[in-house]
Amino acid sequence: MNGFQLYFRLIQISLLSRMQYRANFIAGILGLIFWNVINLGLIGILVTQFTSLKDWTLWQLVFLYSLWVLGYSLYSLFFSHTSELENYLLEGSFDQFLLRPASPLVQLLGRELQHTEIANALIGLTGISLAYTQLDLHWEVWKWGFFFAAVVSSAIIALAINLLIACSGFWTGRSRGTSIIVNQFYGLVQQYPLDVFGSAFRFIVTGLIPLAFMNYYPALVLLNKVDRTNPGWWLSYVSPLVALLLIGLVSLVWRLGLDRYSSSGS
Amino acid sequence: MKLFWAFARQNFHAVAAYRFDFFLRASSILVLMYGIRWLWITLYTQRPGAFGVSLGQMVTYGVLSMAISNLFFTGPPYYMAQQVRTGAIDLDLLKPLDFHFHMLARSTGEMLFRVLVLALPGMLVGYVLFDLQLPADSKTGLLFVVALFLGYLVSFHLDFLLGTLALVTLEIHSIDWAFHATSRFFSGQFIPLWLFPGVVGTVANVLPFRSIFFIPLSIYTGALSGRDIGQAINFQLLWLFILWILSRWMWGRVQARIVSQGG
Repeated sequence: MNGFQLYFRLIQISLLSRMQYRANFIAGILGLIFWNVINLGLIGILVTQFTSLKDWTLWQLVFLYSLWVLGYSLYSLFFSHTSELENYLLEGSFDQFLLRPASPLVQLLGRELQHTEIANALIGLTGISLAYTQLDLHWEVWKWGFFFAAVVSSAIIALAINLLIACSGFWTGRSRGTSIIVNQFYGLVQQYPLDVFGSAFRFIVTGLIPLAFMNYYPALVLLNKVDRTNPGWWLSYVSPLVALLLIGLVSLVWRLGLDRYSSSGS
Repeated sequence: MKLFWAFARQNFHAVAAYRFDFFLRASSILVLMYGIRWLWITLYTQRPGAFGVSLGQMVTYGVLSMAISNLFFTGPPYYMAQQVRTGAIDLDLLKPLDFHFHMLARSTGEMLFRVLVLALPGMLVGYVLFDLQLPADSKTGLLFVVALFLGYLVSFHLDFLLGTLALVTLEIHSIDWAFHATSRFFSGQFIPLWLFPGVVGTVANVLPFRSIFFIPLSIYTGALSGRDIGQAINFQLLWLFILWILSRWMWGRVQARIVSQGG
């Protein structure tokens, strides 16, 4: 079996075991829908009371939010369990990945499928479709291409950032704490355009933790908001490139981490 | 009362062991304070003095809200779910101690710990870096503390009811999510209730959630004053009474049918 076949076989097994708990599945989906409705409700109240947020209208904000949700849902659907790496490292159960005759990374990635995230994907798609009609957008063919590339890039960026955090566990033993902070950045970038915040924030989520490439920058292109007089205008187009760079970085760090790994032994 | 402090102190020490975790949590509050401050500055540049509240008051409301956000929902539902899953709830029930009281003591210990390591440093940082204003006078400050504590008690009882419910459904995560989403919206944690339009505003004014963030924060910022403060505190007391009765009653019914999963 090659890596891909193995990955899909692992996913299939995980899905079969998850479907044993149907009530949890439905409760999980309802919980997700509810959460998103509440978030959008809060944004909705703010924007209707203040008519807009900088030059972002309600439906543009819905688009921004939904683009993030769609990309992130692809990540969580397939890969959200990567944050469990910390536990495997601490308990020493990471050894089993190394003993089996298959790539440890494929084994980790294929460990689970978070199937309730389908709901988030649908919410993202619904939000984008509604915003598309409300804003009367008419994308040319290349924009549709850019849209799909942006969504995939967004998922990859989320995966890469979370894997990098998880990999830090190879050195420090603990990694979950860092994700608590990064999650706060996620929340802000997901809901509000960068224009709202100061330049320090813009620098962090562009250069250090490149979350803004998940929704803000591609949304500028897709909503025709790119301002060519702005020296950083080209950033709006480079999400796929950022995703590729991060893939390279992750595979490097992962390999270094594996070399570093010595079992906790238990 | 001595017993209460014994449990509170024990839990205080239990959480104090995870120092690094708290340091990270404190840092994440900083990010939120930064974000909320800019959000209100942006909105107020568009519309200065909106809804009769000044920018200073609004920023104080938002930043303070983030500083105190960890004091509520200190986690009895997860404790209860975990105890049932591992079977350890037997031991809790065997203790010659009222379970509701036991949970309140544990939770209060954790809350006081968070006041010391998260809320107070958070307020200090907020004051130095993010334009958090001091309350108008010491009486306002005192009323804020009273309302905050009542808000905590309301949040505890909501949490306790949720935990009791989880013992019946044996599932906690989804329910907890839906519940927290509701609380996020109606408590005024992010957006003060005076911005809520029409029916949503009416609903928010009736539900207990506004006891948690909105009432203490409105008192602190001076958005509530005079007789309105007394009314708001009465509202908190009324809900606390209802939730207390409800908690006792629900727990009494559920306790009899707890299915422990063997330890």
